[in-house]
Amino acid sequence: MPKSLKFVAPLVALTLLTGCASGGVPGATGPKLDAGAAVSGQITVWSWDVAATALKRLASSYTKEHPGATINVVDIGYDNAYDKMSVALQANSGLPDVVTVETDHMPAYIHQFPKAFTDLTPLVGGAKDEFDPSKVSASSNKDGQLLSMPWDSGTVALYVRTDYFKAAGVDPKGMGTWDELLAAGEKVKAATGHALISTDLSTGSLFQMLLQQQGQGIFTPAGEINLTSPAAVKALTLIKTMNDKGLLDNVKGWDGRVTATKNGKSAVMPSAVWWIGTLTGEMPELANKFTVVPLPAFTQGGTQTSNDGGSTLAVPTQAKNPQLAGSFVKFMLANKDNQVSMMKDEGLFPSYLPALDAPLFHEPQPYFGGEKVYELFAAQTRKIPSITYTSDNAKAGDTVSNAVVASVLNHQDPAAALKSAADQIATATGRKIAQ
Amino acid sequence: MTGTLLRPTRRLSGKADGRAGTRTSARRRRPGYWFVLPAVALFAIFFLYPLLSSLWQSFFSTTGGVSTWVGGAQYMRLFHDPLVGKSLFNVGLILVIQVPLMVCTALGLAYLLNQSWLRFRTGFRAIHFLPAVTTLVAYSLVFRVMLATDGGAVNQMLGMFGMSPVDWLNSEAWSRVALIASITWRWTGYNMVIILAGLQGIPAELYEAARIDGAGRWAIFAKIVIPQLRPVILFSSITSTIGALQLFDENFILTGGGPNNATLTPVLYLYKVGFQQFDFGYASAIAWLLVAIIAVVSVVQFVIMKEKK
Repeated sequence: MPKSLKFVAPLVALTLLTGCASGGVPGATGPKLDAGAAVSGQITVWSWDVAATALKRLASSYTKEHPGATINVVDIGYDNAYDKMSVALQANSGLPDVVTVETDHMPAYIHQFPKAFTDLTPLVGGAKDEFDPSKVSASSNKDGQLLSMPWDSGTVALYVRTDYFKAAGVDPKGMGTWDELLAAGEKVKAATGHALISTDLSTGSLFQMLLQQQGQGIFTPAGEINLTSPAAVKALTLIKTMNDKGLLDNVKGWDGRVTATKNGKSAVMPSAVWWIGTLTGEMPELANKFTVVPLPAFTQGGTQTSNDGGSTLAVPTQAKNPQLAGSFVKFMLANKDNQVSMMKDEGLFPSYLPALDAPLFHEPQPYFGGEKVYELFAAQTRKIPSITYTSDNAKAGDTVSNAVVASVLNHQDPAAALKSAADQIATATGRKIAQ
Repeated sequence: MTGTLLRPTRRLSGKADGRAGTRTSARRRRPGYWFVLPAVALFAIFFLYPLLSSLWQSFFSTTGGVSTWVGGAQYMRLFHDPLVGKSLFNVGLILVIQVPLMVCTALGLAYLLNQSWLRFRTGFRAIHFLPAVTTLVAYSLVFRVMLATDGGAVNQMLGMFGMSPVDWLNSEAWSRVALIASITWRWTGYNMVIILAGLQGIPAELYEAARIDGAGRWAIFAKIVIPQLRPVILFSSITSTIGALQLFDENFILTGGGPNNATLTPVLYLYKVGFQQFDFGYASAIAWLLVAIIAVVSVVQFVIMKEKK
């Protein structure tokens, strides 16, 4: 007996080990949702920042309509959101009933965890066409199932500190190209001592924004690595030039960007429409100091917008109350009034196109000195260049950000830095580099 | 081992009944095993199982939720991955600079705090040891706030002396300095306590004899203290080396491994590969590479320790 007990430890381990090959991936697809099902009970929703604020606010109007339901919105914070979700997806336990997933993260999740999300198509039916089509494709799998519902778009424009431009004697409306903006930036710097742009270089998001503005992504539509293209070199060269001229203020993380803007460290911020929510929510004291103009083009008459982020809501197959979760997601997103209300209060720009007809989009905005900034974003949304996301975007993102840092901060030649990043991605993913 | 522990019992029972003794002891062992069972079970579930599971996983590649057996391909990939090289280089750099710096500081502090003429010794020891009891995450967050380029306490202090702000966490060189400084702050006191214990183990006669022979303060330190402390210093150096190889919390929170991977460590890299890129097979291979390196370091430690004794 004592001798046999000696083998208990390895035996226990081996028994457990045999189970591990099948672990990690959910065995079945989620329940089939029914748009008309009666709902009750409670759900937990994960979100962050203004998105969480919006969910909390509208949850009470949902529970007014559905007295048996309780919606528990948890602000898990952006910095940890994906770590938490990825671990829970891999372990196949620990996810709540509804999760917020940004549009550009969704393709990787769909590819890596094909059975982790519930098909939302039965909830929206034909109304699927009423969402921003580029968002729908990012949220769908190859069988056409809608695995997350588009929430907001990330239409990009340029937020400008009018007081700084005034001090420098430059008209913010007159900047058609990036070259003109850089020239204006030098004047602003001379007059006020402030940088042009505050950004976190280590995230690489500015580079990807500039790349998409030129109609390209990290990968070509054929799935080849697209970092050696002239557009990619142009985008990185622009950032490097900005830094070389002392117009770039490199900050750390989301908090760094918010702090830099609040402290007025730089004159412009190329950012998505959801930045309005952060401005009005976190720095009401800066009202009347900003105006919004279209993004400068690379060449005169070129595209003047891009996409940065935007979110979706997904119902994991782990959800304990999928019917209520689905019903809540539909109530929030496939609903003109609620989408308009989230635009009004939190600055979340609807992906649900019928909402864009609302009068709100033509109203003057007091924060921006009475300018009709939403009208501008609504007009630019239709012009966002569509790009291809692959399952390797998450993997490539890190390498791209490092190429940006290597070139801009370590003075490497942009083309060389991008070539070496492309080589690394090729080794890591087995994809070809586009010629 | 168990037999040795139970030998006195056997002798006691042997006095009463010689032949029944062995049987009694066998039966008496049984409850002992039940007592260690919880520990064995916890060890198996939380240590052995993950360990073997990750070894198993390192032979698989997962795409689209389907795992396929790839044999040693993940291990071959280690050799072609520049980031594995870079993360090991970063650790090497930290080792070469940080470990000697920290061990020397700890040695100096321990020597000072061991002096009988020093007042409030206990208080000083407690103060130096305090960083070791703060949690890794808490102190990393505090360092991040202090080192913020824009309005961080350190840069504000530099500003008082008319110096321009340093981009602590955003430049390659400074982020390494910041990382080394924070680890040194956290672990010097801990090593100091270990060395202090070693110092107090040096017999007073040795000092006395040296003083009678006319040795000065420096000669005593160099010829008595250091040689006597050799195993302790070696222990500190080896544990610090292993600690550096396993570095994660500090650089994860301070810099996220950036900028341009300047503060990337193997553990942070395996975390990124596993939990951000979902490549768990490759992450497991990195983990086992680290296991191999640490095993080699530990063997070296054993060999050196034996030789010196």
